[in-house]
Amino acid sequence: MSLTLIELQDVSLGYGGVPVLTQVGLTIHRGEFMALVGPNGAGKTTLLRGILGLVPVLAGRIAYNFDRSTSPPGYVPQRDTLDPIFPLSAFEVVLMGTYAKLPPLRFAGRRQRQLASQCLEEVGLAALARRQFWELSGGQKQRVLIARALAAEPDVLFLDEPTAGVDHEAEATIIQLIGRLNRERMLTAILVSHHLGHIESMVHSVVWVDDGRASKRSIEAVRAEEGLAGLFRSRERGA
Amino acid sequence: MSELLQILSPNFLLRDALVASVLVGAVCPLVGVYFVLRRMIFLGVALPQVSAAGIASSFFAYQLLHGPHQEMQGNEHVLAMAGSFAFTLVATLVLALLERRGRETVEARIGTLYACAAAATILFLAKDPHGDAQMVNLLKGDILATTEASLRWMLAVFSVIVLVLFACRKELLLVSFDRDLAVVFGKRAGLWDVVLYLMIGGVISLGVMTAGPMATFGFLVVPAVTVRMLAGRMVTFMVGSSALGGATAFAGFYCAYRFDLPLGPAEVALSSVLLLAVWLFVTGRRMLVNWLSP
Repeated sequence: MSLTLIELQDVSLGYGGVPVLTQVGLTIHRGEFMALVGPNGAGKTTLLRGILGLVPVLAGRIAYNFDRSTSPPGYVPQRDTLDPIFPLSAFEVVLMGTYAKLPPLRFAGRRQRQLASQCLEEVGLAALARRQFWELSGGQKQRVLIARALAAEPDVLFLDEPTAGVDHEAEATIIQLIGRLNRERMLTAILVSHHLGHIESMVHSVVWVDDGRASKRSIEAVRAEEGLAGLFRSRERGA
Repeated sequence: MSELLQILSPNFLLRDALVASVLVGAVCPLVGVYFVLRRMIFLGVALPQVSAAGIASSFFAYQLLHGPHQEMQGNEHVLAMAGSFAFTLVATLVLALLERRGRETVEARIGTLYACAAAATILFLAKDPHGDAQMVNLLKGDILATTEASLRWMLAVFSVIVLVLFACRKELLLVSFDRDLAVVFGKRAGLWDVVLYLMIGGVISLGVMTAGPMATFGFLVVPAVTVRMLAGRMVTFMVGSSALGGATAFAGFYCAYRFDLPLGPAEVALSSVLLLAVWLFVTGRRMLVNWLSP
């Protein structure tokens, strides 16, 4: 089995034909825990969504070394993209993950319900299965969405700012959970984050996204970039 | 009480109208829940208006091809139904296609559609004075004119729609709740939108032809909004909305019969009273909980 899971070759991504990121070349290996880091509005989410096929590829090519139709990726979107008008329990949200492998007109049966329960247990929220999804805390909602992604039984997990808007304790719990899934299940994880923070000791590689470019860097180099970006931001605020 | 017994009697003169009314009341909320969930409630106003424009266009076409109207008999009825279906389906398909492009806001598209449909209805009828009176009857809701044949046809179409909604509920929920996830899972989100819009088109066309645009809009939206305040799960939301719509239609029919009121407005008024009662209950309960909590 090839070690390369996904490969981006000179990829440009954007909206309405206007590129946000250009000439991105990246290789994602099986079992890798990768963080996409960069300032606000740099294009981290665009890159993640581009790899997922949610943003059109304007140029270049993305090669997937797995069958996306039989083994779709797990996806944890930003929490605030979901609408609280839907009356859903935590279990119902997780059950949606099992739809990945269910053909049209087939209902979720015992196997899918068991899988959803196991995934909730995996993220430590089995006791909250019947609770309303929207009544949960930010950190708990995020863990439910991770359970939903796991219910798709994916080879690779994409997480868009899974720790945004949660407290420090919840952030540490979520990052440890993703790290454990990566280690124990050999699950490839690609995560978008504003800063290295808690993930620094967990990730294998870091991609710095800024100025329309994205490239793998060492953690030390990204830390230096973060420092510079912070310095520029504070100068702009002072100006 | 005696009126209630009369209504429940198998020999009740208006039995077909009662059954049709309850069917519209029970089936409209099943698609109405998606209006509420997708925050497209105004579509519930626009599509019945499009359906009315379809009926007006068919009257206009009839006048061009055959001359003045009779009294909405036989082929005229079929023509009106065809016009209603055609306009509603085309409008829903166009909306589905535009949703994929997503350039303008949904509200802008629906608002434009409503304005165009209202204008088209008036323009078609301006050239067809004979159709005008029939249109007024339809807009009020001509449910008392329901015949056994039209009821049978309605039952068949509604059964198919309910079956499709039940069979596709997994896909429709996924596409409505998290479209991106549906795309990541390789589901054809656009196709499921079209399926939903076709069901919506079918329900609205039949609803408007049977009960009129006002009652149809009322049943599409009000029961779903009412039950949403109480439901904690999707299945409760859908089944509860349908049950409330059916029960309100029955109670509305009883009130209209008992107090000699127009049926559509009686049903919508009753739904609105229930909505207000549930809102007061939920708000009161929330205030009480907040007051009691330390």
